[in-house]
Amino acid sequence: MTDATSDLPSGKPVTTAHASLLTESPKMKKRNAAEARFKMYGIFAITLGLAFLIFLTFSILRNGIPAFTQTVVNVEFTLTQEQFDEAESKMLKTAAYTEIFVNNITEQFQERGLDVEFDGGTVERLLGKVGGDLRSFYRDNPSQIGQPVDFQLSAASRVERYLQGKLTRDMVVDGRFLEAADLDVVDAMVAAGIIGTAWDWNFITGTDTGVDNPGGAGIGASVIGSFFMMVVVLLLSLPIGVAASIYLEEFAPKNRFTDLIEVNISNLAAVPSIVFGILGLAVFIQFAHLPQSAPLVGGLVLTLMTLPTIVISTRASLKSVPPSIRDAALGVGASKMQSVFHHVLPLAMPGILTGTIIGLAQALGETAPLLLIGMVGYVAREYPDGIASGLLDPNSAMPAQIYTWAARSDEAFFEKAWGGIIILLIFLLTMNIIAIILRRRFERRW
Amino acid sequence: MNDMTPIDRKMSTMQDVKISAKGVQVYYGDTHAIKDVDVDIADKTVTAFIGPSGCGKSTFLRCLNRMNDTIDVARVMGDIRIDGEDIYDAKVDPVQLRAKVGMVFQKPNPFPKSIYDNVAYGPKIHGLARNKAELDDIVEKSLRKAALWDEAKDRLQAPGTGLSGGQQQRLCIARAIATAPEVLLMDEPCSALDPIATAQVEELIDELRQSFSVVIVTHSMQQAARVSQKTAFFHLGNLVEYDDTDKIFTNPQDPRTESYISGRIG
Repeated sequence: MTDATSDLPSGKPVTTAHASLLTESPKMKKRNAAEARFKMYGIFAITLGLAFLIFLTFSILRNGIPAFTQTVVNVEFTLTQEQFDEAESKMLKTAAYTEIFVNNITEQFQERGLDVEFDGGTVERLLGKVGGDLRSFYRDNPSQIGQPVDFQLSAASRVERYLQGKLTRDMVVDGRFLEAADLDVVDAMVAAGIIGTAWDWNFITGTDTGVDNPGGAGIGASVIGSFFMMVVVLLLSLPIGVAASIYLEEFAPKNRFTDLIEVNISNLAAVPSIVFGILGLAVFIQFAHLPQSAPLVGGLVLTLMTLPTIVISTRASLKSVPPSIRDAALGVGASKMQSVFHHVLPLAMPGILTGTIIGLAQALGETAPLLLIGMVGYVAREYPDGIASGLLDPNSAMPAQIYTWAARSDEAFFEKAWGGIIILLIFLLTMNIIAIILRRRFERRW
Repeated sequence: MNDMTPIDRKMSTMQDVKISAKGVQVYYGDTHAIKDVDVDIADKTVTAFIGPSGCGKSTFLRCLNRMNDTIDVARVMGDIRIDGEDIYDAKVDPVQLRAKVGMVFQKPNPFPKSIYDNVAYGPKIHGLARNKAELDDIVEKSLRKAALWDEAKDRLQAPGTGLSGGQQQRLCIARAIATAPEVLLMDEPCSALDPIATAQVEELIDELRQSFSVVIVTHSMQQAARVSQKTAFFHLGNLVEYDDTDKIFTNPQDPRTESYISGRIG
């Protein structure tokens, strides 16, 4: 700088040497480069996040969609009165029906020039207890005797995996579940065009099955279990959480004791959920003798877990209401409670709802605490038959059900687990959409 | 100030004292914000509090309707009486007091509700109207008094926050007078407004003098000179001088007042 000024005859202090606006100074260059770099980091981070999201969505859908379909064998079948009477007169009645079925299929194969030998055992391994199903159908609907009836029989999960190419002939070990020769029959069915896939409502509406029947397992009962838990969580944690926050934020004196409460609420939000599980086991089941595996207990445990989240977000949104609104209300002579309930709370509502939905979403996906109160691993074979039963009878919950399926040895359950995740995500999305709609309705312009 | 309509100052020769404050001390934690202030505020008069930032004029104003109660660390001592009644008496409910002593704040703070609901809120919670027609009447009268009726009558259901700054402040004034107060406290009501809106609010303040005792805190000495009949000058928590506005601005007794109004301090 001084060099530049020294040759000026006037001796006027010139601070910068020939700074043209058209050229970038080195300092400016550095600043601009730093800004560009920072933008790049941001774009990189977002791209990475999006890539993972796409990958996750794709793999969930690819693995989970097959859970919603099942492999079925469509058979048109006519049972004559004589066949019915004959079968009913036999000692082994279902075996008789199975034999009729085998003969029917064999005929269909022969019509198409396929020559495959098989017996009742094969049918049972491929399609389950067809004889029993046929017998109960015709006993319940005697009018259908003599009429052609379309039967849709669901195939065993191994058949499905064979058709998907996940199971090959050399992997098959002859046994109770499948023999290599059975696969010839499957091939023949494919050639005859009577095997196909169909939408499986049973997965959404059905109940869980034992470990040996992955095909029949459904998530319906545990959806109901989750639903009852969420109702308990919402009904308890929203009023308690909001009331506690309003008191702490607006009315409680600020002293050491309330500071201590505040610190502890923040700490509770960070406590691992399994701790709440063991607390629930000790308090609700061992001390209060509430039933094990019941959605009521699950809901109570999840309420404990959700409360800190709701309290923290509610207090934050109460704090964010400008003090000028409180002043305005007090200034016209509203009492403290009127100012809170007429003015502050409505303005904090969007934030409270967001916090509540986040809390509920967390609770919906929580598995660890359910482990300790016996909801994980419980095989939900039945639907509850009322509200009381829904709350008090043992049931599973969606994440618990998914965990149970994923832990089973039969690979066919993995598909169910992925499918269960899709249902869980649909639930979460629905809840979020409801939250957004409610927020829009409550939001007011300043 | 010269282009403003000169205000005809008929001094109400202190015949009624509305508020009388004696030995008022305010502490914010350890800070001594107001030091032993004595002041008598007349009825149907505009009293201006002037002084540099942080001199305690707003704090003192907020003592008059016990708004300082909402600040945990603030402690108020001394004796403040409205119509002879001690407002810091244990039997006084600050909520009832604030219905009697309305307040307008520095920043326009309408509720995020309709214009109608903003004005109707006070009368509603105090039960001043027995039916919808009476409430409508109160709303109209208040908006008329606040010189907002003509602009707002066709959009009473529009949000109050959609008005311009000056209109919002007049809405806040309408809201404050809707509860039929006896005293109106104004904490720098024009600091967020442009000159035209300021002129409207000042005109309004002069009209309000007919019905209320108005106490206004202002940063602008010109404003104090324009609207008030009595002026109090605060400095560092002390009430330095309190007299007729004419006297304060033409013949101040205290050297500090003189320095301030001539622009040497503050």
